[in-house]
Amino acid sequence: MNQRDTIELVARREFTEGFRSRAWRAATAIQMLVVAGIAIVSIVTSGGSGIHTRHLAIAGPQATAIAAKARAEAKGYGIKLEVEDATSAAVAREKVADEDADAALGPRGLTTGKDPDASLVALLQTAARTVRGEAKLRAAGLSPAQARAALEPPPLPTVEITTGEGEGGTGLAYIGALLLYVALISFGYSIASSVVTEKSSRVVEVILSAIRPVQLLAGKLIGVGLLGLLQIAAVAAIGLVIAVPGGAISLPSSTPETVVLVLVYFVLGYVFYGGLFAAAASLVSRQEDTQSTTGPILIVLIASYLATNAALGNPSGGLATVGTFLPPMAPMVVPGRAAQGELPAGELIVSLLLMLVAIVVVIVVAARIYNRSVLRFGTPMKLREAVKLAVQRG
Amino acid sequence: MGEPVLRLEELRKSYGETVALDGVSFQVEAGQMFGFVGPNGAGKTTLMRIVLGVLAADSGRVLWHGTPIDAEARRRIGYMPEERGLYPKMRVRDQLVYMARLHGANEADAGAAADRWMERLGVGERADEAVEALSLGNQQRVQLGVALVHEPDLLVLDEPFSGLDPDGVDALSGALLAEISERQVPVVFSSHQLELVERLCDSLAIIAGGRIAASGPLAEISGGKPLADVFRDATRGMSGNGNAAGPDADAADTEERRP
Repeated sequence: MNQRDTIELVARREFTEGFRSRAWRAATAIQMLVVAGIAIVSIVTSGGSGIHTRHLAIAGPQATAIAAKARAEAKGYGIKLEVEDATSAAVAREKVADEDADAALGPRGLTTGKDPDASLVALLQTAARTVRGEAKLRAAGLSPAQARAALEPPPLPTVEITTGEGEGGTGLAYIGALLLYVALISFGYSIASSVVTEKSSRVVEVILSAIRPVQLLAGKLIGVGLLGLLQIAAVAAIGLVIAVPGGAISLPSSTPETVVLVLVYFVLGYVFYGGLFAAAASLVSRQEDTQSTTGPILIVLIASYLATNAALGNPSGGLATVGTFLPPMAPMVVPGRAAQGELPAGELIVSLLLMLVAIVVVIVVAARIYNRSVLRFGTPMKLREAVKLAVQRG
Repeated sequence: MGEPVLRLEELRKSYGETVALDGVSFQVEAGQMFGFVGPNGAGKTTLMRIVLGVLAADSGRVLWHGTPIDAEARRRIGYMPEERGLYPKMRVRDQLVYMARLHGANEADAGAAADRWMERLGVGERADEAVEALSLGNQQRVQLGVALVHEPDLLVLDEPFSGLDPDGVDALSGALLAEISERQVPVVFSSHQLELVERLCDSLAIIAGGRIAASGPLAEISGGKPLADVFRDATRGMSGNGNAAGPDADAADTEERRP
């Protein structure tokens, strides 16, 4: 049997046993429920489609003309305008006072409640200016068509200078870094727990009498990684299925390059941290000791995340550049910079190379530590002993 | 009985200052039931781990049919470590299939072998139960099944009978004897139970203080005397690390074995 078959066997076992476990199913179900809940709440609170319904009470012929104009323009302001004809201006104002309408339009002008919707006011002001301007021009002798042409010149030609995804990219970058951070922690601990389970049940000695430690390690990383991706996909799917038709979020118009970068750096970051978590976990024999050796890795991960958050505020600044070249930070920083269009191609290439070198080092060191400590049972090993193990000859 | 299947030459292993093996040599031939006895700390588990490649020796050689053993040959060994271990939540049949496949069997063969061994070892009814739901006796049977399921060419069993009641001992030894008579598979097992070794084995090695005190056919070693007397004479003053206790003292280390 060749190396690939062996790794695939191990990965398949990790995947199917993990998939069957009650813990994985419960965690996935809970996450799906939470995300579905958040999606539903945000649909309800945002009033659905992002278009807000506003009620306008009107009185008088001029108000009628302005309302008609406003209704035609309303969509551009994110407003659906419901117009109600009141018998008099006083009745119209009363409707606002009773909160039956958001605004009243009469011969004496616009009446609104406290803290009026700025979009609604702007919409009505613009419509009023157009209607009254048109009336003035017609009074000056222009035909209706001429008056309309004078008031509605074709829009200025506009050229948008796009820097990546601009403003939209910033929010995406922060959310992406957060999701990556959460996924790295959760996957890291899945790996640690899988390593320790084999040690605490002592089954690892039987396994290692048949295959090499590095094959076990590789299969474990792949199996746990795929299981984690399945969980993310399930959670993301339910969120999108509810939120997108509901209008709570609109999918960012990401460039394909950004999506590819996120995936590539996610895999790189996962292998980097997953290898470290596996090596750390192989130093202990019981689940309850796991924290003692994985703690330092968690600290590095948390510090990297905090630094990433600071760096993304200024994606072309010094911290962001340094983070791009630091393997613990790069998986979170690089996609964020790319989403904001602030990643020079040269830096990306150097970052990828450094990341790959770091991963090779991590995997070699992790495999050596794993190799030498996975059959040691008893009290957790000290970090110094582990380093000694890794540099030992043979 | 022909050329040795397994031959150990001058194996040495130290853990820091502690010498675990101090030049160990012996050989196991086809069709042999080979007993491996010695006091606690004598080096039995270290030696078995070296044969399986789980540990590396400091020096010396392990030969498989006359050539240095490699990973491919080691896959042909069935191993039952002293520290018993199975995946607690994995189902019995899945576990056996997985182990057979890790040793190179294809899916169909692995499935057939798993079914056959579950039947033979009397755990066929438990195929779809998690291992942790089984009694310790049944877990031990599954453990032996793991060592046997890939039709190995050699069995290396560390204390296979410890913790079993007499019925369990009979079931396990019966399965082992059947393997030997059907396929000429040599079995090497360590044990503290000298009367069991006397009853089952045709050859044995006595190890003490990291050295072989005696090895060869049972009749030659015992010369008609009870094995317990031979053992006492052979191990007297040979326990290198000051552990002069007899085999019975070894029961003490079983407490650590089952958490």
